[in-house]
Parts: sequence; structure tokens; C-alpha cells
Amino acid sequence: MVTQMKEIVKAEEGEVFDIELEADLLKANKKLAKENKELLRKHGVAAIDIMGSIGAGKTSLIEKLVQLLKGKYRIAAFKGDLTTTIDAELIARHGVEVVPINTGKECHLDANLVRKALQKIDLNNLDLLFIENVGNLICPAEFPLGSEKRAVVISVTEGPYMVMKHPFIFMDADVAVINKVDLAQAMKVNVKKLETDVERINPNAKVAVTNCRSGEGVDKVVEALDL
Amino acid sequence: MHEFSMTTQIVNYVLEEAKKHNAKRVDMVHLIIGKLTFLGLEQVKFAYEMLVKNTIMEGSKLHIEEKDGVVRCSNCGYEGDLKYEDDPVYHVSSPTLNCPKCGGTVNIMGGKECTIKSIRLVA
Repeated sequence: MVTQMKEIVKAEEGEVFDIELEADLLKANKKLAKENKELLRKHGVAAIDIMGSIGAGKTSLIEKLVQLLKGKYRIAAFKGDLTTTIDAELIARHGVEVVPINTGKECHLDANLVRKALQKIDLNNLDLLFIENVGNLICPAEFPLGSEKRAVVISVTEGPYMVMKHPFIFMDADVAVINKVDLAQAMKVNVKKLETDVERINPNAKVAVTNCRSGEGVDKVVEALDL
Repeated sequence: MHEFSMTTQIVNYVLEEAKKHNAKRVDMVHLIIGKLTFLGLEQVKFAYEMLVKNTIMEGSKLHIEEKDGVVRCSNCGYEGDLKYEDDPVYHVSSPTLNCPKCGGTVNIMGGKECTIKSIRLVA
């Protein structure tokens, strides 16, 4: 049987046509974050995002958490920064493996960078992974990394409005940490008000008040993270 | 916050699609941007004007459809916009995860989109 090929249908010159795309621009990161999560879960590793403002005490918090928990869990950490490995070294001196992630110019970690870092550690011998993000209360909220829980750290030295000014990152948080409580009086910052700000925005978020230098309150963070 | 890099992604994507269809020109790009994303619409439009210069997208209309935030309450089944509450001390309104109907806690179901819905090409 001879089949007849019909003439190629082409748009005529000047013809206008619509293409439905439904192209999700955030899909790539979401997909990688999901893959990271699955990989971590497969190896029984709980990953916890530590996000927060610049200088809030994220690294100090991780240092104290590592000191408290390294007898109970096998721990590693990823430390995101634009440049330098200063913070990564601070964490590593407590005897845990740290992968520094230098983002170059990017102001937040993304799932791709975390995926690369996951390839550098032995997930078979790990229980707990802290992922410290770049100091930033805005962008990290939009870039899931594949963690089980997200903690956000702010400190009283940033003034009284940090929670109110950044509702979205707190809406994304499982735990909020208000650090440097020892300086609250000097800063004339009402810590209770900051706590209620978090509760108002996200009633599900647990709040811990800390002095990560002395370690005061870090046990409450451990409790809040179910560790 | 990342309007420029996001818009670069958009322009590149559209140019790829236009190339696939051998289009001579792009007339219109229909974007959907959720209100809970961190994209400033003015900056997206500004970046767009700059990035399409000297491409087949120059002169095209950027139509941005804004989507409201959508939350769902697992307690009472409410589905709709977020509840905004006033701070009692500073009288500033902020979004919350409280259910507007029953006060329970909601999950965010929508409003975080950044999607190229469709494009209009000229052959």
C-alpha cells in the first residue's frame, strides 16, 4: 500500500501563534533538593539547615551543638560562605568533618552546591548533618536544600525588628533561635517581644533563647530540634 | 531578590523555545509570579527590557500575572489567602501562618510560583 505524505504544515510568514509552556523556573532547585533529601533519608542522615542573619551566631550555635551531641551522634557539617574557610575551621576543630562550600558571589546555598558537598562525605557513617547557610534572612527561604528541619538564628544586637522585617524566613522555620541574650539589656531589646513576633507569624515554630558563647539555652535548641 | 538572574533565565528559555519553532519574533511572554516569591515585579520588568535588547524578543510585551498566596488549614479545611496580622506595638502588618477561619496553623499551598505560562511567537 502506498502511503501519501501530506505537505509539511508550516506557519505562514507573519502568522502569530501561542505556545503553552507552563515552565516552572524554580523546578531545577526543587528537584535537586528532593533528590538530596531522598539520598539523606536513604542513609538515615538527618540534615538540619542553620540559616540566619550575618553575625547572628550560626557558627557558634553549631559549635555548641556539636560539643553537646558528638557523643550521641556521628556529625558532619557543611558551611556556606562567599569566601574563606574561617567558619568551617572553627567547627572542624571540634573533631567533626566539615565541607566548606564557597558560593563565590551567590548569597545563599542552593541544592546543587549541597548535592556536590554530599558527594564528599561518607553518608554510611553519619547520623546528623548541619548545613550552615550564608548569613542572609531573605534568599535562603526560597531555596530548599533537602534538609529535614530548618532553623533560623537572629541575635539581639540586630535590634528589635528582625522577625517583623523578615516574616517569610520565619514562616519557613521549624526552630527560631534568638541569640546573644546576654546583651539584650545593653541593646535595650525586648527578647520576649521577639519571641511573640515569631509565634504570631509561625505558631508552629519552636523558639529558643540562647547565649551561644556560654552555651546557655543551647539545650533548648537540642530539644526543639528533637535531637 | 534575584530578579536579574531569574529574568536572564526567562529570556534564555524563551529564546530557546522561539528557536525550536523557527520564530522570527516573540510578541508576548506571559509570566505567573506568586506574591510569596521574593521577586520585585518592577525589577523584573526593568531587567527584561534590558535583556531582550538586540534579540528577537525586543519589543515584546511582558505580561505578569500575579498569584495570591494560598494556604490550607488541616484543621478546618479553609483554603485561601494568608491572614495578615497587625503588630500591637509597631502597627505593622505581617503575614502569618494562622488560619483566618479557625486560628489553627496552615500550610502554604500556592503563591510561590515563578512560571512561564505561555509565549506568543511570530513566524
